[in-house]
Amino acid sequence: MNVLILLALILFVLMKVIGGEKGTRSFLALFFNFGIMLVTIILMTDQAINPILLTIIACILISCINLFYINQFNFKSLTAFVSTILTLILLIFAVFVLVEKSKIQGFGIEEIEELLSFSFYVGIDFGDIIICTIIMGTIGAITDTAISISSAMNEIYFHNPTLDRYQLFKSGMTVGKDILGTTTNTLFFAFIGGYLALIIWFKDLGYSLGEVLNSKVFASEAMSIFYTGTGAILIIPITAWLSAYSMVKYKDKVRSGEAE
Amino acid sequence: MNIKWKNKTFITYGLILLSMVLSILFVQNNFYLYDKPIAEVIETTVTDEEETVDSLSNTDQVIDQTVIGEIKNGDHKGQRILMENQYSESGAADHEYQMGDKIFVSIQNDEGTHLTGNIEGAKRDTFIVVAAWLFIVTVLWVGKKSGLYSLISLVVNVLVLMLAMNYYTEGEDVNLFWICSGLVLFFTVFSLLLVSGNNKKTHAAILATVAGTFSSLLIAYAVIKLTAGEGLRYEEMAFITRNPQSVFLASLLVGSLGAAMDIAITITSSLYELTEKNQAIALKDLKTSGREIGKDIMGTMSNVLFFAYVSGSIPMILLYLKNGMAVNYTLSMNLSLELTRALVGSIGIVLTIPISIYTAIYFIRKGRVIK
Repeated sequence: MNVLILLALILFVLMKVIGGEKGTRSFLALFFNFGIMLVTIILMTDQAINPILLTIIACILISCINLFYINQFNFKSLTAFVSTILTLILLIFAVFVLVEKSKIQGFGIEEIEELLSFSFYVGIDFGDIIICTIIMGTIGAITDTAISISSAMNEIYFHNPTLDRYQLFKSGMTVGKDILGTTTNTLFFAFIGGYLALIIWFKDLGYSLGEVLNSKVFASEAMSIFYTGTGAILIIPITAWLSAYSMVKYKDKVRSGEAE
Repeated sequence: MNIKWKNKTFITYGLILLSMVLSILFVQNNFYLYDKPIAEVIETTVTDEEETVDSLSNTDQVIDQTVIGEIKNGDHKGQRILMENQYSESGAADHEYQMGDKIFVSIQNDEGTHLTGNIEGAKRDTFIVVAAWLFIVTVLWVGKKSGLYSLISLVVNVLVLMLAMNYYTEGEDVNLFWICSGLVLFFTVFSLLLVSGNNKKTHAAILATVAGTFSSLLIAYAVIKLTAGEGLRYEEMAFITRNPQSVFLASLLVGSLGAAMDIAITITSSLYELTEKNQAIALKDLKTSGREIGKDIMGTMSNVLFFAYVSGSIPMILLYLKNGMAVNYTLSMNLSLELTRALVGSIGIVLTIPISIYTAIYFIRKGRVIK
């Protein structure tokens, strides 16, 4: 049997046993997200469609699945959703400005050598694609942090309804500070795991520090890590602010519509 | 008191800003550190423009440009150099150079008034530093002191990783798996102690993280052995100088660690928080609460890993598809390892939930007996 199918089966059983119905939903969400990603990539091969616009649409769909399907539609997930969209737009601007000049799009010399039979003049703007790649890499972390903060603040406000907006924002930021360390850790180790082979490869081939830092492969990886991390942290104040603002404004909606 | 505190923050922010400006200025002018000649582009002219159509009727625009640069280091410092560059609109394997870009060059001919040479590649260190500062400033602004701690933990972890990899690549007969196991232990103990201090809660989280990470790896190993690795395309690992399977297993171990740590600390702290609020809470209730929290976080957490791993393959998948490769072949060539990483990491996430609950409850019960 195929490794991937067997692992997916094990994951499904574990999620169902430990997470019950929500576990099943979590597993299905992974599948839906994979589907959305594939369709997005296939649509990107069409030169007529702007890949960044496509990525934004895909990210909105993915956030819907992560927030409304796994967590159900309620005040908490709606706040998290709006915060996610705001952060995405902000991040796209930042990445757009910075990636433009840094020449990290496309493939490094090391990768090109392995693909000699390929045509590289394929008519897709790889400068746009690198932005899409960075944004897509962040979307999971952004929705995760957004829902954690908005549901924690929802609980806090429910237990202390006399809090004003500023106090509520402050406690949201306190929750955010706890999440910050673990989220950056998750992303960091995931990237290190993904690029362990690359690190060993650089060492084995005796690249100097200067060569490593300026190579396209390393530079694009390092920058992806930093931008992804920035996005995953930027969502914290945005969600805290938006939750504080909307919870005080729509007082009666807090904790309503909750099935649990 | 208040004024003093404000002064202190002011100084701290000032220092951060100063080191940011200084380090960016430094990498913009660090030409003397490099042996290879570096040129700053001062003039570019387009000499030819042509539309290309490849065998699969992809159209692209290929442009020739002449680039004149000024050498910034070495024996030829200050001299002008003339280079040719060819780039395409898509820019998959080439770049357009503009005024002000800094590039590594090789000098071919230094006779006559003009130097001539070739472009070797862009100088990218400045952009890495700028991206790093964007991250650092965001972390410190949002996280303040805990942001600083997570930065310290990241920096120390990178340094230790580099040392370990040095040891691995230089030593003979060193087993990568044992090195990575040692690394996992160090990363877990160091990061968690730094984040939540030396106490029972942290000890429980450390135990749960290590147990969760290694059991997910054990499952991955068993699955790979059982299926004889069917469906895993190791040839996808473009950068490989060692036995791909052992590098891959080691990368699974490190890759699952962060997520397991996240789950372990979240569940352990919540359970300790609950016992602090209510000393008499029944262990059974703790178990139920732990499971509720676990249910809430496992779905979105596995998505964090999924997108972090899979999105990196987008450019390569596009190149394959545009070169007329079948979708099936493209996906299995480009995603099999990434999907395995995401699946093993997610298995680690789910397994760490019950493991954290039981370790935390064990520690809490032991604490109660002593009291």
